[in-house]
Amino acid sequence: MSRLALVLGAAGIMAVLLLVGLALPRWLLFLVTLAASHGIVSVGILVIMRGGLVSFGQGLVFAIGGYAAALSFTQLGITDVIVLILIGTLAATLVGAAVGPLLARYTGIFFGMLTLALSMVAYGVLIKSPAVGGSDGFNIPRGTLFGVRLEGAAGDYALYALAIVLTGLAATAVALHTRSARGLMTRAIHGNGLRVEYLGTSVQSVMAINFTIAAALGGLGGALTIVALGHIEPTFAYWTQSGEFVFVAILAGSQSVTAVFIASLALELVRSFSNLYFPNTWQLALGLFLLAIILFLPAGIGSLWAGRRKAPATGAETQA
Amino acid sequence: MTAPNLLEASDLSVSIQSMQALRGFSIAVPQGAMIGIVGRNGAGKTTLMRTIMGHLPLVAGRVTFEGQDLAGVPRHGRAPLGIGYMPEDRQLVPELTVEENILLPVWVSKTLKAEERLAFVYGMLPEVEAMKDRKALLLSGGQQKLVALCRALAVGTRLLLLDEPFEGVAPALSHRLSEVISGLKGTALSVLISQSDLNHSQSLFDRQYVIERGANVAASHAA
Repeated sequence: MSRLALVLGAAGIMAVLLLVGLALPRWLLFLVTLAASHGIVSVGILVIMRGGLVSFGQGLVFAIGGYAAALSFTQLGITDVIVLILIGTLAATLVGAAVGPLLARYTGIFFGMLTLALSMVAYGVLIKSPAVGGSDGFNIPRGTLFGVRLEGAAGDYALYALAIVLTGLAATAVALHTRSARGLMTRAIHGNGLRVEYLGTSVQSVMAINFTIAAALGGLGGALTIVALGHIEPTFAYWTQSGEFVFVAILAGSQSVTAVFIASLALELVRSFSNLYFPNTWQLALGLFLLAIILFLPAGIGSLWAGRRKAPATGAETQA
Repeated sequence: MTAPNLLEASDLSVSIQSMQALRGFSIAVPQGAMIGIVGRNGAGKTTLMRTIMGHLPLVAGRVTFEGQDLAGVPRHGRAPLGIGYMPEDRQLVPELTVEENILLPVWVSKTLKAEERLAFVYGMLPEVEAMKDRKALLLSGGQQKLVALCRALAVGTRLLLLDEPFEGVAPALSHRLSEVISGLKGTALSVLISQSDLNHSQSLFDRQYVIERGANVAASHAA
């Protein structure tokens, strides 16, 4: 019942956003597209965070998703954005599945530092690789969707719709996952991993799978970002980018998947407007914003509704 | 006793941060038996339980379950053998409901069926069914003990390890706990219970081991 409500709620939110998108100005459409693409990466951090760990290196999978999609466009001539996004997601998933079991052996700060190290190694490699544009990166022309080139206002809307639908579906899947047996096990790991082991599951396997899920979401976010942005560079893997994803996850709190997207949008808005009005001190505005959230909503934006009343839409995890 | 031993631990030596906690302790739990282990705080009862569950590495000795050496079984591989563990401090997941807590080990099991296990557990402790939708964090310590017992019962189809089940529980609940545990007597389930005092339900046990400073002290047979 509550699962059905969750799926219906998510479908409702997506439908409303698709309609609202028709009325939004192009700059805001683009901003929401990026917020959704970045938000889904932070949803991945949420999946890991529920087990008591924080990844400071989601820039790694974000960049891998982005580069895989971008290179498939420029090198292989694949222009369909859905195929590109699938390629990006798949590439990041494979990397996640490969490094996940290794990372899952570590806990606490060691896990965080190791993820950070991996992303910075990727950054170092990318910046020294002229084949992929070095530190400048490279541009990607607008792709196609079902054979139609995505140009002008209609193209912007199509990318917006794609971002809403794909991140919406992925977020719904995550919300359902957190309610599954494995998702609840992740909850049980938090604070006491041994308890999970004597109940019959391996903490390492749960965390490795969670990392792989997060990697898939990171790849999806990276690929979505590059098809909308039309540009990729090594800073996708840089630690400040990873930090931004963690920032959004903290802003949102760990109870709600919807809150992550709200937090991501809030970040994009604060960044855009403060960049416009006080370009030299926009990070200061960002810092004050985070400070306000920590002071007044210590459990994150999601705590405004999650945990107080019964599951609204993808605001899912009222189990908190 | 002619029944074969389900669990056998022999000459266990275990150190915790270079302090020796078990010094050659041995214990045998026959099929279907109820075994008590008594010792003061710090004698090594919890260490023994945690060693059986694989949380602490053995310096010497071995633990076998149905003749299989547990050294080669990973920590998470013990619950699937049918071993249910109830730690002294309960260790429920506070944000989950009572029923979710009980079902956690059943969900991850490949063989257990949720409805069957719930029916069995609620049959033994109907008062837990009455609070199944409450979050674990809203329960009193004694109620949490009952739920932890249910969780151990849900997965422990062969052997139960109950670490001081009567400790820190109000007398009424303690009485209820010992009633439930007595109800397991004579079933196929083997039970190992640790206690820090002798006065409790001595008649419950087929055999009682005494542990002191991590070693066996003359074991006594119940009548």
